[in-house]
Amino acid sequence: MPQLVKVRPTKIELVKLKRRLSLAQRVEKIVKDRLSILTMEFLQTARETVEAKRRVLDESSRFYRALSIAAGYHGYMAMEKELIASEADVKVTAGSRNIAGVRIPSFELMDNGKPMRGYNLVDTSSWLDRAAQLSEECLRAIVELAELQRNFELLAMEIKRTKRITNALEYIVIPGLQATINYLNMKFEERDREEKVRLKRVKVLVARG
Amino acid sequence: MLQECLKGELRVVNIGLPQSQKRLRDLLSEKYPHVVCNDGSTHLFKKSELEYLANMLDTDEQRTLLLPMLIELGADQAQAAIICEGKVEEKIISKALNMPVACEETRIRIYKPQLALLRRKLKTTTVYVFSAKIVA
Repeated sequence: MPQLVKVRPTKIELVKLKRRLSLAQRVEKIVKDRLSILTMEFLQTARETVEAKRRVLDESSRFYRALSIAAGYHGYMAMEKELIASEADVKVTAGSRNIAGVRIPSFELMDNGKPMRGYNLVDTSSWLDRAAQLSEECLRAIVELAELQRNFELLAMEIKRTKRITNALEYIVIPGLQATINYLNMKFEERDREEKVRLKRVKVLVARG
Repeated sequence: MLQECLKGELRVVNIGLPQSQKRLRDLLSEKYPHVVCNDGSTHLFKKSELEYLANMLDTDEQRTLLLPMLIELGADQAQAAIICEGKVEEKIISKALNMPVACEETRIRIYKPQLALLRRKLKTTTVYVFSAKIVA
């Protein structure tokens, strides 16, 4: 049973209620559209997150395997010496974008055209090259996963909020307004009937008198 | 108060729209390709996506294409329309979806499954617009 809105039973209040109802119905439509878009984006992000996670795990395991082969070939100390000398800054472009009113982050690994490795190519082998190449791929996958994971969380939170609004509109606000409008209409009809009976009664009394 | 809340919901849906669109050629030359949104925030484009689009088009077409492309969501929930000015958008959409599409009255109409596919490929170069017919 929908709860009635507390208003004075006047024609002006009825007009106001009708306006509120039309606004609520319009908002419900938009919120539902938005919810369907957010759900579509959420499902897509979820799928991509799963893929990205799998890719990170695969790339990491391939990278560690290549690194242990390179360490076995060069010796741990020699390889560490080369790698310390070749440390490079990783640049990530961070910004944001908007999906149907939700501001979500966007990350992209900056590729400055040259490879990140700076070690001596004469003293090292192709095993180390392979490990370095895989580490770059692994890093790219991690950045991608970071973006997707955050998007996933933000979209989920927004869907939860939007769903609550849709439910409130669908099950409380709109039925409440409709019930109040019906109640006011009945009240006015009742008044009209009373008025009619009163007039008839007055007519009879006047005719008698 | 309820009315204010509801009006706030109407405002929030189109708040992330760009104030103006930029040409692909200009975006490619920017260090951090972006556009400014209505709420003053920035919408960042991914360079990889811009390069993907640039590979599809020749230099003249790159000068014509305006980004981000606007995807209009109308009263019909099953459909979405891409607002386009010319044949360039048509070419991109048909290549991205791998199917022929036609531009009718400055709109390319696509269905929800195609929309999901398109958004997967063009995440930062497309934005949603809630149609004026339903928002107004």
